[in-house]
Amino acid sequence: MTASEVQPGGRLLRGVHRTLTGLHPALESVLAAVVGLLVGAALMYIWGYDPWKAYWALLRGAYGGSYEIASSIARGVPLVLTALTFSICLRGGMFNIGAEGQVYVGAAAAVCVAYFKLPPGLHLLVGIAFAAVAGAVWSLGPALLKLTRGVHEVISTIMFNWIARFLVFYLVAYVLVDARQGQRTVQIPLSARFPVLVRGTDLSYSVFLAVAFALFVYFLLWHTATGYEVRAAGLTPTAARYGGISIRRTIALSFVLGGIGAGLAGAATTMGLPPTYAIISGLPQLMNLGFDGMAVAMVGRNHPLGILVAALFFGGLNAGGRVMQFYGSNPVPLEMVRVVMGAIVLAMAIPELVRVFPAMAASGRALVRMLSRRKPAEEAA
Amino acid sequence: MRKWLGLALVVALVAAPAMAQALKGKVAVVLDVGGRGDLSFNDMGFKGTDQAAHDFGLEMVEVQSATAADYLPNLRNLARTGQYDLIICVGFLLGDALAQAAAEFPQQKFAIIDAVVDAPNVMSIVFRENEMSALVGALGAMAAAHYGYPNVGVVLGIEIPVLYHFEAGYRFGIDWGNKKAAETLGTGPVGLLYTYTGSFSDIALGKAATEAMLAQGAVGVYNVAGPLGIGDLEAITEFHRNQGTRSGPPYYFGVDANQDWLGNGQHGLASGMKRVDVGCYSAVEAVVKGTFTGGITSLGLAEGGVGISKFVDLLEFIDFGISAGALKPEDREATIANWAVNRGTVPAWIWRAVDELEAGILAGTIVVPTADTVDEMQAVRARYTLGAP
Amino acid sequence: MGVNGYFLRAERITKIYSDGTVAVRDATLELRPGEIVGLLGENGAGKTTLTKILSGLLPPTRGQVVSPRGRVRFSSPREALEFGIGMVHQHFALVGTFTAVENVALSQERPLAPLQLAEIRAKLEALMAESGLRVPLDVPVEKLAVGEQQRVEILKVLSRDVALLILDEPTSVLTPLEVDELFRLLRRLRDEGRAIVLITHKLKEAGSITDRVVVLRKGEVVGDVPTADVTSEELARLMVGKALETRVGRAVELSTEEIPVHAHDREREGRGPGVLHVEGLSVAGDTKPVAVHDLTFDVYGGEIFGIAGVEGNGQTELVEALTGLRPALKGTATIRGKNILGLDPRQIYKLGVAHIPEDRWVLGLVLPFTLAENAILGVHRWDEFRGPLSILRWRRINAHVRSLMQRFEIQATGPSAPARSLSGGNQQKLIVGRELAKDPAIVIASQPTRGLDVGAAQYIRDTLVEMRDRGRAILLVSADLDEVLALSDRVAVMYEGRFMAVSRPEELDRETIGMLMGGVTAGGKR
Ligand SMILES: Nc1ncnc2c1ncn2[C@@H]1O[C@H](COP(=O)(O)OP(=O)(O)OP(=O)(O)O)[C@@H](O)[C@H]1O
Ligand SMILES: [Mg+2]
Repeated sequence: MTASEVQPGGRLLRGVHRTLTGLHPALESVLAAVVGLLVGAALMYIWGYDPWKAYWALLRGAYGGSYEIASSIARGVPLVLTALTFSICLRGGMFNIGAEGQVYVGAAAAVCVAYFKLPPGLHLLVGIAFAAVAGAVWSLGPALLKLTRGVHEVISTIMFNWIARFLVFYLVAYVLVDARQGQRTVQIPLSARFPVLVRGTDLSYSVFLAVAFALFVYFLLWHTATGYEVRAAGLTPTAARYGGISIRRTIALSFVLGGIGAGLAGAATTMGLPPTYAIISGLPQLMNLGFDGMAVAMVGRNHPLGILVAALFFGGLNAGGRVMQFYGSNPVPLEMVRVVMGAIVLAMAIPELVRVFPAMAASGRALVRMLSRRKPAEEAA
Repeated sequence: MRKWLGLALVVALVAAPAMAQALKGKVAVVLDVGGRGDLSFNDMGFKGTDQAAHDFGLEMVEVQSATAADYLPNLRNLARTGQYDLIICVGFLLGDALAQAAAEFPQQKFAIIDAVVDAPNVMSIVFRENEMSALVGALGAMAAAHYGYPNVGVVLGIEIPVLYHFEAGYRFGIDWGNKKAAETLGTGPVGLLYTYTGSFSDIALGKAATEAMLAQGAVGVYNVAGPLGIGDLEAITEFHRNQGTRSGPPYYFGVDANQDWLGNGQHGLASGMKRVDVGCYSAVEAVVKGTFTGGITSLGLAEGGVGISKFVDLLEFIDFGISAGALKPEDREATIANWAVNRGTVPAWIWRAVDELEAGILAGTIVVPTADTVDEMQAVRARYTLGAP
Repeated sequence: MGVNGYFLRAERITKIYSDGTVAVRDATLELRPGEIVGLLGENGAGKTTLTKILSGLLPPTRGQVVSPRGRVRFSSPREALEFGIGMVHQHFALVGTFTAVENVALSQERPLAPLQLAEIRAKLEALMAESGLRVPLDVPVEKLAVGEQQRVEILKVLSRDVALLILDEPTSVLTPLEVDELFRLLRRLRDEGRAIVLITHKLKEAGSITDRVVVLRKGEVVGDVPTADVTSEELARLMVGKALETRVGRAVELSTEEIPVHAHDREREGRGPGVLHVEGLSVAGDTKPVAVHDLTFDVYGGEIFGIAGVEGNGQTELVEALTGLRPALKGTATIRGKNILGLDPRQIYKLGVAHIPEDRWVLGLVLPFTLAENAILGVHRWDEFRGPLSILRWRRINAHVRSLMQRFEIQATGPSAPARSLSGGNQQKLIVGRELAKDPAIVIASQPTRGLDVGAAQYIRDTLVEMRDRGRAILLVSADLDEVLALSDRVAVMYEGRFMAVSRPEELDRETIGMLMGGVTAGGKR
């Protein structure tokens, strides 16, 4: 009879939407993770794998013991840094997808320390500084293009990613190449490596660099006037300008800070990742760190502390995913593992995506509306 | 009674080490980021291990790597379980990770294809790719001479020592073919066009490099970059389409697997086969038979580890392609026919000459040079300049 | 229409926001066709919340909204429109980069169907002629002044054939003339049998146009009476409640009288030194090549200089030019002898300028920020709030916010409440409080009392006057003619970027001003 009784489905959808939007963030994340896990389970079930055994393998492989936990953390370290790159800029109102290229450049700069000798600790610090500066400089390109020419950062950072890719390809193949090992660059000497933190795992002291940078970014954004300006400019640029904030300054600052983060990720994956301590031709250990970082940023709600948690989760997914391939009587091939991980990450990123992109929310609403469309005029008649 | 007891003791004593040696029944294959589906290197590694596991009644697991950062963890994860008789690393890129893992897990047996890891528990399986590349090079050079093409080409991947084997052998083979052609036809030498694309994955790079070579009159292009061969073949196929021909030069020379059947066998003249499957199989076999030892196992023409493609392998690999879904079963006969037609475009004396070269290498009367370092490679290049100033 | 004779009924509605604020408490209200209902209440009483629930945009925590056709719940304004409910929001829901025509098109039944832009334009032009609300149709609405955007919102809703029209403070940025025309239109719509809800803080308006008034106090319906049966005094008493008797008295006084004229000591000898000096200033507008034409004027310490005029006649551009938000074409402007043209806002604030912007959502506030964060916007680099290494002193900032909340009666759960969760009037109080707390040499105030309830508006006016008396200069821009006339020591009437007249308020009668605002000089038509 009544308007709403006619379309219970629509009502349900709206109800879900309303319930979701009012949830506590932690609860929301847990709920999203559950949804993602269920979708993943359904996919595995459809393709003939036992989801429960597979998830057991995932859990064991991710957090089953100190070795597993250390491996998960290790996998998350560079992602913390690239996620921060994205989040800093997003907080500053920009959609910076340039972390990918900045990682490459940062890694290449870090490798350069192989060409000179310094005392142990100092050598490491110099390498970190090299990578940070290289990342920042590479990030300045899109920043300057935006400030002087108004080029949208999405376009310029994509372009810079490609340039970085081929530039580093070239450097790896012809300049930094190890003459005896053509498939990789010269190795970073022992004096410039992050020592391994947990023996027998990948976890090195680079984890402290990542955590320190995350805390630094948190403090900067929420406890200094400079960070306040970045956030204000990101949220309401008009009001920020009214408040005497130089948007140009905040843009430049967020790009540079972001570049530092990505550069450090490059350092962490070369100076702090056994066994190679060099860039492999084709950059297979650097590839996608920037893009995965965006997913981590989304899952972590673009908050440095959330990113730390999200990176641990993401690292766990990756580390556990390796184990899913051979664990027990139910091996799941990597392709399937990746599909499942994709489902989980997507589900967890959606709430933040919806918040971040009002346009996305609008299209989401349009979808809900379409699904629950009703015609009062007809019903009234 | 005592006698029985004594016997039992003896049995136990003898059996104890034997029990320790007993098979756990599992082998693992670890692939690099290239992963499965290349119908070549990685798939052959899988196929050989799978076959061995089947023949010896073992269970096999396959572990792929999403990124280079996964290599070492994957090896560690497997070795930690202590459940694997053998862990095979398919591919050169896993070398660093294996060196570390082998040291951490001295009780675990490993094998690696294409790299040398100096550890007592690692069987390093390498191939003498220079030998089969020499055969392909000779074939290409003579075909070019026959058809009056100025060049032969090769598209390579990343400049790593393994690829130097190919280049060195190919250069030698071309030079040998040039001499043979001069004897037979009185033609001048053909040159070599070669490109290191720096990639084992970017198919477009293979296509672009091949197009450039075809434009400079290459009679064929040898693919030494795995998946890039798809791009190479695409360029060659398009060239034929524009030229209005269905067979004959320019040719595609496949690599690792028998790739002659690719593109329904129209342009694949021959492949420089590197039997990764044979390598993996023999590693598993060694473990099962108790003959496993660390150190280098070099496989060449003599061991059946490398070779130039023949009709028999073609059938085997056509079936491989069909089972992977890359070739439609109904195209099987047509593919074989196309291949035969294409082979027929090369005169018999050339095939005989290739056989002659093969026999010489097998007999040890002909020694194909190789290179493992930049310097050695430079030396080979200097010796066989092949048209380059 | 429904057989029960009502169009929509709110039944025992309670709304508790997620932070625990009870915005509406057990409210029951019925809306009938052919009736204009006035919704009154102090800032934060729950008017906006209640109307959002009525139009189905906000789910009530308890209770329900029913129509004769059943329970009402929508998930988008368009869905509500399709049902026959149109709401003109206190804060606009326009797409900034779209023109007025496109915005209206967006709200149509099938927005994805080939847009009948020409048809919509024709409809809008007819509506503009009828309602007297004129807006440029082909300019992205973000380029329009707030008052113009308000008009677009109203036109957008009027363009749909709605059965229930809800207007949330539509008159706060309209000139008296526009208000008259809007009211004429509303009466006609009522006579056609539509239901209308009007939220306003102006009791005079409520008395003149509504048929029934509903008074909200702290979320509760404390009165629901035919307008004819109640005096302004009683209304004010209802709104304020059993608060201090003096406050009631004040409210009553405010409700019955005109805005008290403050320039008691107008004849004061010697105003202060010149603070703002503007000479030959021309400024480009977003929609016009020149929005401010060759203006020359001074504002002195100890004086309130009022600028009256219909919105969109260059006031916005003038204020923006003086506060560093917009470049000038030519001319000079100085504050206490120092040039301000070409400086950025921060440099200008350093010279002692406070700016109450006309658009609180676009300029005045960072909505997702907390109260505390908003309270330091523009002063966040002051030593008071910022320590070494640029570290913010949150303790001091919070103390500052608490004092602002107390002094300006800002209702919020605390310094960490997001500004978004404040009622419109409280947001305005926050901005005004922040700016006035700077104790600047000159206040540039656009519509400072917009959306404030009578009591709060009067407090702000008192504060401005008090600042003037302490020798501060005040540039007051307002569409509220009564306010300008009551507060200003001198009034300029602005029309198309020029001052039609500058004189003492008592020398201008309302009729003359009305004519000047329309561009008609005393001498005749322009
Ligand atoms: N989104 C929200 N979250 C939390 N509290 C809110 C939210 N929106 C409004 N409130 C609170 O609800 C109360 C009523 O707000 P509402 O906007 O309905 O007032 P109002 O009567 O429209 O006031 P005004 O005249 O100032 O516009 C206020 O105390 C306000 O702070
Ligand atoms: Mg309101």
